[in-house]
Amino acid sequence: MNPALQAWSLYARATKRWPALAALVPFIPVVALWWIVAAAGVFPRAFFPSPPDVVRSFADLVYKGILPEYLEDSVARLAVGAAAGMAIGIPLGLLVGLSRKAHAALWPPLLFFQAIGDIAWLPILLIWFGFGLATMTFVIVYTVLFPVVLNTVLGVRSVPVELHRAALSLGASKPRILWEVVLPGALPNIITGLRNGLGYGWRALIAAEMIVGTSGVGFLMFDARRAGSVVEIVLGMIVLGLLWYIVDAWVLAPIERATGQRWGLVTR
Amino acid sequence: MKSLAIRNLSKTYFDAYAGAHVDAVRDVSLEVPEGEFVSIVGPSGCGKTTILNMVAGFIAPSSGEILVGDHAVAGPGPDRGVVFQSFALFPWKTVLENVAFGPKMRGVGKPERERIAREFLSLAGLSHAAERYPNELSGGMQQRVGVARALANEPDVLLMDEPFASVDAQTRMTLQEELTRIWQERRSTVLFITHDVPEAVFLANRVVVLSKGRVLEEVDIPLPRPRRWDALVESDDFKALANQVLQLVRSA
Amino acid sequence: MGWTGRILAGAKFLAPLAVLLVLWPILIRAFNVNPQIFPDITAVARAGLESIRDGSLFAHMGASLARVAVGTVLAILVAVPLGVLMGVSPGVSAFLTPLLRFFSVLAGIAWIPIATLWFGYGFGAITFVIFNAVFFIVAYNTLLGVSTIPMQVRNAAASLGAGRWTMLAEVLLPGALPNIVTGVRTGLGFAWRGLIAAEIIATNIGLGYMIFVARDFYRTEVIVFGMIVIGALWLLIDRLLLAPVERATIERWGMVRSA
Repeated sequence: MNPALQAWSLYARATKRWPALAALVPFIPVVALWWIVAAAGVFPRAFFPSPPDVVRSFADLVYKGILPEYLEDSVARLAVGAAAGMAIGIPLGLLVGLSRKAHAALWPPLLFFQAIGDIAWLPILLIWFGFGLATMTFVIVYTVLFPVVLNTVLGVRSVPVELHRAALSLGASKPRILWEVVLPGALPNIITGLRNGLGYGWRALIAAEMIVGTSGVGFLMFDARRAGSVVEIVLGMIVLGLLWYIVDAWVLAPIERATGQRWGLVTR
Repeated sequence: MKSLAIRNLSKTYFDAYAGAHVDAVRDVSLEVPEGEFVSIVGPSGCGKTTILNMVAGFIAPSSGEILVGDHAVAGPGPDRGVVFQSFALFPWKTVLENVAFGPKMRGVGKPERERIAREFLSLAGLSHAAERYPNELSGGMQQRVGVARALANEPDVLLMDEPFASVDAQTRMTLQEELTRIWQERRSTVLFITHDVPEAVFLANRVVVLSKGRVLEEVDIPLPRPRRWDALVESDDFKALANQVLQLVRSA
Repeated sequence: MGWTGRILAGAKFLAPLAVLLVLWPILIRAFNVNPQIFPDITAVARAGLESIRDGSLFAHMGASLARVAVGTVLAILVAVPLGVLMGVSPGVSAFLTPLLRFFSVLAGIAWIPIATLWFGYGFGAITFVIFNAVFFIVAYNTLLGVSTIPMQVRNAAASLGAGRWTMLAEVLLPGALPNIVTGVRTGLGFAWRGLIAAEIIATNIGLGYMIFVARDFYRTEVIVFGMIVIGALWLLIDRLLLAPVERATIERWGMVRSA
């Protein structure tokens, strides 16, 4: 067997034992290539920093406390937005999904306001609330809300009519059916909605922080742009990617595994 | 346990595609005395599932009445337990939680309703699967859960809508034998819908043949119990009855 | 559904929106809302007519749509062949999936600062942002689509004598098409939002710029008109262009979406 194949089979066996490796190792050649291109000086260093530059700037910003503080701001904004988006979105979705009248009255406006993307609201929000937290919170809640509502409606309507009937003939009342049948039946869709909503909401947050922010990862990146510091921009992008990876791997995926996948409602 | 009486039941749909009214059930009357097992058999489209849905209270009749004991049916309720063709188990509840669902809705406390659920699970031969989720079970096992869940709620009447139509042939025979055993132990009032003639004959005290929404004929099944397939397939009485019903269904 | 049925359904859909349109001027008058906070419907209509008459609406719309079109077409042209290549071997696709996912998470807005540094303010930077938003998501979905084509189908094609190119044209591309279309739809969703953000930050023409500059003069009627145009354009792109294509590929072939 040639060495390349041997290395590959070793890698295959290692990733089977430690699945985390499969998520990390592919980045090694990318970073190496990046390093080589930077070191070769194809682009000016100010435009195209090398990996050590980024690590140094990371250490520097952590030491000064700027990065932890900005990261905390961004995550807190996202968490508040997600919580508020769900608190409004899930009940609204249940209402629109269960009641014909509510569906007829609310579905068209929901589709219409969803189409006016979050960021297009920024100018008028700035007039209403000024540069600050209220504007950013509105944008995130708005962004998270629609995917949650629309997917909750889908989820409610995907619950088979037999399950409603089974619950009724076992003596369940309407409120109990809501809690025991409709909500768990819609849960996989609700989580999909939350996933989409967070995906959009998080981008909206970055944009809002760039445009109106005084702190946060988006502000860090845009501030770095003003100062012409490509290193910090790249650092910001990496932090954003990692942050999403953590939210996905540590929050969303475990919920999905414990609910829809366990119940056989979603296939992986 | 109570009797079930269906009096002059009719159901007319408006078929949007055909643009016309369709009489799915026409003036059907039927008595299921307390503790009796009655099968309704007929080709697809003969209205048998419509009858069951009306008895269960899922759809409203166009005319006629349905009595459980001396109470008129007006909507679904726990006095009529339903076993569905699609099982209709709650995927997000374990087997135990599914079976305990009816008692939970009645307000039975957790230890007591789990005791009830375990009792009915053991009746259905499922004690080992209590903590599993429905999607981890085979079709046959899922329908055992469906039967246990309906029985655990102690309904006056048990309604079964082609419950074994979506399991494989081997399992179906086992489930049929188990159902006769459970019925003999508990003497429930059962209305059983099927298009499978041998199944209808094997299970019931009486078979009702349905055709185009009307009752064509009722056939008494005086076969001795307990009934087992390996004995009955040899039995001339069984063959004669099954043949008689089959002729009626084919003439329908 | 016949013609009357369709018209009836359309009317039912539009009725709640019509109610909102009627309520709007009534509420504005009832609460005596300052036009610098929220405009009356007539002011919005006037602003719209004016921007049509002086041609500025079409200039902004044209700039925005040109950026989206160029960025998206380029991204699809590069991403699809690359995705197919990467998806052919299971080992390679498993290896590259984390990379593509990482970059598709960054899609769009996160590239604005570096894009403006690399390309300066204007067409290049914004098109680059759109390219990025579409490229990684489409490449990832193509890879996913190719790698989920059952091996049996590929074997069947090979045993029927399909060469490398026929396999690509007859099996891999059509098999991955539903995923590709879904990817384009998702990617464009991100790209459209990225476009508005980028135009707010980095240009002097385009719909995003139009509404942001109106803010400086508290011209809420221009902002609201712009928002409606942005929403309507997206609905047109999504419902009339993307959704029908997606439905056609997925439903006609009886394929279920896997992403």
